[in-house]
Amino acid sequence: MSWLRSVASSEEVFDEDVDDISLQNKEWKYNMEKRTQDGFREGIEAGKEASLQVAFNRGYREGASGIIRIAQLKGIMSAIRCWCQVHVPGTPALSSVTDLLQRVERHEDELVETLRRAQQRPPPSLTEMVDDMEELSVGQKSQDIESRCTCSGKDGANEDCSGIVRSKGEDSEMHSYGSSSKIETLKELQKVCLDLVTELELPDELKLHIRQLTGC
Amino acid sequence: MAHLSENDDIFDSIIMADDRFHVEGYREGFEEGVRQGSIEGRNHGRLHGAKLGAEVSFYNGFALTWKCLLQNSTDVKARKRLKAVESLIGVIQNFPYEDPQYENLQEDMERVRAKFRQVCSLLNVPTDFKEYVSGTSGMSF
Repeated sequence: MSWLRSVASSEEVFDEDVDDISLQNKEWKYNMEKRTQDGFREGIEAGKEASLQVAFNRGYREGASGIIRIAQLKGIMSAIRCWCQVHVPGTPALSSVTDLLQRVERHEDELVETLRRAQQRPPPSLTEMVDDMEELSVGQKSQDIESRCTCSGKDGANEDCSGIVRSKGEDSEMHSYGSSSKIETLKELQKVCLDLVTELELPDELKLHIRQLTGC
Repeated sequence: MAHLSENDDIFDSIIMADDRFHVEGYREGFEEGVRQGSIEGRNHGRLHGAKLGAEVSFYNGFALTWKCLLQNSTDVKARKRLKAVESLIGVIQNFPYEDPQYENLQEDMERVRAKFRQVCSLLNVPTDFKEYVSGTSGMSF
């Protein structure tokens, strides 16, 4: 029975065909995956380019507004110290002024250091962020990762916020930039400064400038 | 429309599949790129804004204080110093340093720094200030 013979031998033929087809499938799959990956790489570059400048501008405003108060206090303290070095050299008052200036400098340095660390760290991968978000409540998965803070923060009217937006993907230490705990420290420093100005009998107008730092 | 032969159909669908995978990948990559770029850009921006803002605010606090300290004085030296200080305050007030898109950011920054150095030398400010000034003058955008 010739058809039986041909069936028997056709299995071999089938096997070859199957191998051939599966190889072609694999090749096809490999090529299409490569196309996807190529597209992904190009897409990432394009996406970054499209978003970098806008994000930079936004961050710039946040960075500036979060630091101007402590930096202005530093300028005030520096000027007071200069004055003291001339008018009341070697006094305990001068030491107090120097101490306060150093505290203010430390406070400002900490803020900048927080930003520097955040800048040096690469952004978390998508999988890391998804994991982070899964640790939070389930319902938040579909929401935007970042939310906009709606208070102004700049004029000192709202002291709990500096307009810094918190991202779940960012390190928790980023939260301390402009956060309420640092504002508390600014208030403490401000108070010590006012006391020193009183002690040194410096002009009242100076107190006005110092108070304005926290919108008082 | 001309009837496409079967062969043409096959080639077209191969090319379209090729494009389709590429486009899909591109779309996903773009989303990821925007996400990464937003975070990176913002972090860079924050650091730059803070550095520049800190420097100008420092000069501002410094100048405002000296204005208070000098304005009740009548001697010539004090009046000269006061004039320089008020000039520095004026330059700062007209400088929108919190606006990253301000076109004269760099030039105005240099102007403010130069004015500050002038004020410092008129006030005979001790040298440890110069560290601050030289430290930040190397800043670039």
